[in-house]
Amino acid sequence: MNITGVGRTKFGILSKSLVELTYEAMFNAIEDSPLDINDIDAIYVSNFLGGPLNGQLHFNSIIASLLPSINIPIIRIETACASSSVAFNQALNSLKKMPNIMIIGVEKMTGTKLMSPTDAIAMAGDHEIDFEQGLIFPAAYALIAQQYMQKYGVTHDILELVSYINHINANRNPLAHFYHKEVTREMIKNSQMVASPLNLFDCSPLSDGAVAIIISDKKHADRDIRILSSRIATDTISLTQRADMTSFLATKIAGAKAYKDAGITQKKIDVVEVHDCFTISELLALEDLGFCAPGESSTMIENGDILLDGALPVNPDGGLKANGHPIGATGLAQIFEIVTQLRLEAGSRQVADPEIGLTQNIGGIGGTCGITVLGR
Amino acid sequence: MKYCCIHCKKCWNHPVDKCIFCGKEITQIQETRYKVIGYTEVFIPSTGNEKVPYFVNFLEDQGGHKIFQKSFQKYDIGKIIDLKEDTVQNQQIGIVGSGLMGVQLAAYMIQYGFPTVLKTRSEDSNRIACSKIQKIISKRMSEEEVKKSLQHLTASTDYTDLAGCDVIIEAIAEDITLKKEVFKDLTKVCKPSAILSTNSSSLSIDDLAGMTDRPDKCIGMHFFNPVHRMDLVEVVIGSATAEQTKSAIIDLVVKLNKKPIVVKDSPGYVVNRLLLPQINEAMYVLEEGIATKEDIESAVKLGLNHPMGPFELADFIGLDICLSILNVLSTKFDNPKYQPSQILKTMVAEGKLGFKSGQGFYSYGGKKS
Repeated sequence: MNITGVGRTKFGILSKSLVELTYEAMFNAIEDSPLDINDIDAIYVSNFLGGPLNGQLHFNSIIASLLPSINIPIIRIETACASSSVAFNQALNSLKKMPNIMIIGVEKMTGTKLMSPTDAIAMAGDHEIDFEQGLIFPAAYALIAQQYMQKYGVTHDILELVSYINHINANRNPLAHFYHKEVTREMIKNSQMVASPLNLFDCSPLSDGAVAIIISDKKHADRDIRILSSRIATDTISLTQRADMTSFLATKIAGAKAYKDAGITQKKIDVVEVHDCFTISELLALEDLGFCAPGESSTMIENGDILLDGALPVNPDGGLKANGHPIGATGLAQIFEIVTQLRLEAGSRQVADPEIGLTQNIGGIGGTCGITVLGR
Repeated sequence: MKYCCIHCKKCWNHPVDKCIFCGKEITQIQETRYKVIGYTEVFIPSTGNEKVPYFVNFLEDQGGHKIFQKSFQKYDIGKIIDLKEDTVQNQQIGIVGSGLMGVQLAAYMIQYGFPTVLKTRSEDSNRIACSKIQKIISKRMSEEEVKKSLQHLTASTDYTDLAGCDVIIEAIAEDITLKKEVFKDLTKVCKPSAILSTNSSSLSIDDLAGMTDRPDKCIGMHFFNPVHRMDLVEVVIGSATAEQTKSAIIDLVVKLNKKPIVVKDSPGYVVNRLLLPQINEAMYVLEEGIATKEDIESAVKLGLNHPMGPFELADFIGLDICLSILNVLSTKFDNPKYQPSQILKTMVAEGKLGFKSGQGFYSYGGKKS
């Protein structure tokens, strides 16, 4: 099973609509792939907030309208911020019956008027109980950050460094939300408080964007990338039902299964994309995926291990923090980056000769996790 | 509330009757004592959480069950707090007057768990006030919460029912003679420790304090309309007001989740001293034909970023109230700049009082004019 084509749009505050972004990503993926649009047997589309923000549901039919007379099965998948890695997983499970499948992830988050994005994103949590107590998303991650800092005796400095490194990487990614933004440690440190201890630069931005990926049960070209594993796992959405606040069990479970499928340990991974919707999440991911012991990710980060030329380059595209977080497209954007790295096509942000890469995509506060392992 | 299966050691946040893993009955666990194990101060508003910053506390009971709880108060990590469902505040509040403000104040107080006595003039106004209060709180509370809150309310025509109150808020018409009478009556019935406050929007605290046996316990508590939405309270300090009285009232205002500002006793205090000259000036601008009513409204809304224009706002406040505040300002400061505009005097004389009379600078359908 292979990835045979990838395409994406720029991420950021864009003038294009939900539908236009979708078309652009599909077009780019088809351009990139040896396959023709008529070769596609089915489409899985990932979109989180089309209903509440854009007033658009039944989105599969909109995609059918963009591909007149194609009349193939098209299915929408929604698992909050993990929507697109889950759509990828479901598409993969369908390859036995439908040999070529396109997966699309798209989100239009800016310039919408139906409701505030904060309220809309809060729909990924337990709306009836936790949101009633004011637990918006930044607040949930802030509580995790506080618990983590308390448990391991680290300060906000380490989160500032995570943010900084992601921004530096984004400055090498022309499609990133913050490609042109120059960021200093002082700007990060002094940015406004959102939910203590997290400030603005701990948070990923609201971005528009789309990504499309074509998978196939056959190899079509040398540039094709092998899919070694795709696994998903879930957990209770409310932190109040969990024993451990400083780790995501869903990541550990999906990660362990993915390593087993691929027949590797974490040591074989050359490049990784983790779900840094808030900086603290990057620390948890490195620990939950086994790249270091619990509480030791800060040492890894301080040592420069996660830099483009480090022992384990993390988020070479700038991560959710600086590449952007168009929610329904995020998991596929991570896969897009790993494919680009494994093809050695990442330009000035290319990491040295990677053979195996991994993506970790989280929905909610670790309520869903999708792990994908890819190889050259 | 947690729903737990003691056999499978699993817990749910949402109500379930039987355990899906073993089929056995669920045990409901409701603790009131929790330890604070974490908190975050949130600065981003969302629907239902418009007022920021607020805290989300992460609490754990003795059995290790965790919950979130929103508060406006900061708790240190490690602190034990008690979340009894019917927290009854230990101060009893007396409200005198069942007009626009009195009714809203009583509704607000009982929502915050303060036992409240509402003093009205007749059995009829008692009945009307109670039904208005029920209507107000029903908009924001469940049926059960409304029932509980109403238990905190006593409506009475008898002054002696205020005897047990710790803080009185007088909220009758803006008339110094009437208010003086009320303060005189309050002195007779209230316990010696009771604080006597007025919701006056411009009158002198000292004038009212002079009618009582306890000028040190007299103070202004100027709430704004609509009470549940306006977060400011002007705490007005008279020349004899004691430091203790001031801090007790500031504490009360904070408990009511409002922002107190401290103001010396002076005509119009701060808000109306700033507002009324502007409303008055808008009327002069209109009288002089400088701009149309609509354009003056636009000037203030779009040029000064006020949510309402001066004429809309004057109608909402009540033109009689506007006139009476301007009269107080111009008399007390003896300054012609506060002289009420002719248009305002005329409209009040014609009974056009704004929203409440159905006719002011605008017409309000369905109301008598």
